[in-house]
Amino acid sequence: MDFAFTPEEERFRQELKEFLRRELPEWWRGMFVHDDRVFPQTRRFCQELAERGWLTMAWPPEHGGQNASVWKQAILREEMWAHEEPRGPQYMNLNYIGPCIMRYGTEEQKRRFLPPMAKGTVIWTQGFSEPEAGSDLASVRTRAEEVADGFVVNGQKIWSSYADAPADWCFLLVRTDPSAPKHRGLSVLLVDMRTPGITVRPIDSMAGPHELNEIFFDDVKVPRNCLLGEKNRGWEIVTAGLAFERAGIARYARAGRVIELLTEYVQQTHCDGQPLAANLDVRRKLAELRVRYEAARLLNYRAISLQARGQVPVVEASIARLHNTQLEQLVGHVGMEILGLGGLLTHADPQAPLSGSVYRQWVRNIPTTIAAGTLEIQKNIIAAQGLGLPRQR
Amino acid sequence: MDLHLSPEQTLLVESARSFLSRVWSLERTRAIEASPSGFDRHLWLQMAELGWLGIALPQGFGGSEQTFLEATLLLEEMGRALLPSPFVPCVVVAAPLVQALGSAEQQRRWLPLIAAGRAIATLALVEPGWRDEWRRPEVRALREGTRLRLRGRKCFVPYAESADLTIVAVTIEGEGPSVLAIDREIPGCSYSRLDTFGGEPQFDMEFDVAVPATTLLGKPGEAGAEIDNACQRAMVASLAFMVGASERVLEMTVEYAKTRSQFGRPIGSFQAVAHRCVDMRSDIDALRYLVYQAAWNIASGKVDALEVAAAKAYGNEALRRIYMNAHQVHGAIGFSMEYDLQLFTRRAKAVELQWGSTSFHLERVAARMGLE
Repeated sequence: MDFAFTPEEERFRQELKEFLRRELPEWWRGMFVHDDRVFPQTRRFCQELAERGWLTMAWPPEHGGQNASVWKQAILREEMWAHEEPRGPQYMNLNYIGPCIMRYGTEEQKRRFLPPMAKGTVIWTQGFSEPEAGSDLASVRTRAEEVADGFVVNGQKIWSSYADAPADWCFLLVRTDPSAPKHRGLSVLLVDMRTPGITVRPIDSMAGPHELNEIFFDDVKVPRNCLLGEKNRGWEIVTAGLAFERAGIARYARAGRVIELLTEYVQQTHCDGQPLAANLDVRRKLAELRVRYEAARLLNYRAISLQARGQVPVVEASIARLHNTQLEQLVGHVGMEILGLGGLLTHADPQAPLSGSVYRQWVRNIPTTIAAGTLEIQKNIIAAQGLGLPRQR
Repeated sequence: MDLHLSPEQTLLVESARSFLSRVWSLERTRAIEASPSGFDRHLWLQMAELGWLGIALPQGFGGSEQTFLEATLLLEEMGRALLPSPFVPCVVVAAPLVQALGSAEQQRRWLPLIAAGRAIATLALVEPGWRDEWRRPEVRALREGTRLRLRGRKCFVPYAESADLTIVAVTIEGEGPSVLAIDREIPGCSYSRLDTFGGEPQFDMEFDVAVPATTLLGKPGEAGAEIDNACQRAMVASLAFMVGASERVLEMTVEYAKTRSQFGRPIGSFQAVAHRCVDMRSDIDALRYLVYQAAWNIASGKVDALEVAAAKAYGNEALRRIYMNAHQVHGAIGFSMEYDLQLFTRRAKAVELQWGSTSFHLERVAARMGLE
């Protein structure tokens, strides 16, 4: 057991921090803001990362990577998430779309799809949920009918991230065999978003624009070489992808950053002639956040330790996610409580304390225990696969 | 960064688990809890032969030269077996105090005996009216020529009646916190066993005795930092014991949820029940790695670190949740004395009440975050 990073890893983190200080403009507040500069900024940023070999550093060299250790990759994720994910939509390419193509794709697909990801020039969205298929994801109805030269897709997806970026490609879960049991008739298609018949409708959310969209497919033709993996074996790909995704977001790192910001805030803010940091209730609450941050960070590190040994953590990733998501929500709530009425100011108001970081922490995390499998679905996974309890209904 | 046990650590854990499962059972725990000494001397000597009692001591004293981290791994296995013993007061608290503060002669006298299982040592620290945290002792030692006159009362001293060596925290008039190594042979200490529910014998001790000044461990007035270190070690060690104990309780609870049937199906197929088991899993995992991290910090000499206090701040609350979830899943049977769950629940509450409350440790965390 070793609970320290190596000096080389620490140097890499410092290098990243300096890079972020240089590259991130003062106005950067993350993705979900009404600001036309956001998407061009994320594209520029990803290309800068790519030039330094950092964008896909953990990938094998033949796909544009450097075989970097999973720990360096974790440090990169932590610094990115701590700075409100300046890679924007492209973090998904690295987290699970690329790895799924590496694992399930043909040689041709790897040559076609991975290099643009490594260069930071392509945006993907995902088509998983449907109006009638949320937690019960395997009941998706969007239909891909096999025709001579491929598939014809009809249906509707919802809650698709960044589809209005606009996204170039969609990682799409479809039903290819309606007569098979529901988990066995699914496939994954890689769909060019410029194909005729695709319509995107953005859904404004409490967090702001861009996060959520509906995508409509009306007789959309998808060539056969865009089927990922075997036909009707899509469920396996999607569950692997979701496990990558759960282990792949360093949510605790953002929570940790907001705890740091709040710590500075209570040291500098005075109330009744005393710094807020002297208030016992404030001290205890911030310490409690810090303790929960430690727990979440360690459970993520456990999952990463397994990855370092070539294993795919599934139960461990779900347990880490339980802690990550609840920590993120708690930091938002406690942060708001510490700011008091100042917490009501959005980041659009110049008077907002901490540039609205706490407001964003609160509002963006309302759906954190819902996305990528609800808290309850995570618990079902742990109950069945981790504890061997009977299937939950 | 690597959260896996090393091959040597894995071997240590596996051999400890297989040894304890061979020699110990929960029936033995029940019997030993009711016995006067509160531990099994024969087994204690076997633990010495395995090298456990000198786990972190140098070879010169008969030790195994491992670190505090290996001691916590052993404690996790003792917790899984729910083995009551003076391991924490003797091996984790007292021996390192002798090692850190004692003269060469004191070390030579006590450490080989402790490692060999032939001397039990304990710490008399707590005084009437203290809640949880350690503070400046009010038991005074007055200099009388070459002797120290010790007067006062200590309480919650574990295994005091069995102890060959009692380390007593005192304030020497005009000199500050100090510790004395009091031999069983010295008369003038009286014991009375307290009626506690925690599963380990604890005693009140009355002192009215003049002891030679040579009983001082280290320089007078300079023991404060080492006493604090000893408390942090004891705290992490007790939590490690509860990590192992809780893992066993989770196994019992999941087994119960799989086999107990109501409304025509196992209760574990109801989400409300299953999710309580998952919450236990999630709390135990978090606590385990917080404890490992704390132990690693202590082993690296960073006893004062934020990460050490974080373990107990989380642990206290987690233990409450874990054991209330276990009871809720078990229903009425878990409340009966004949069922084994109560053995663990009582111990969990005792660990929560020792070595610092949640607010005490949150305050330590806050101070280390720079919240001054």
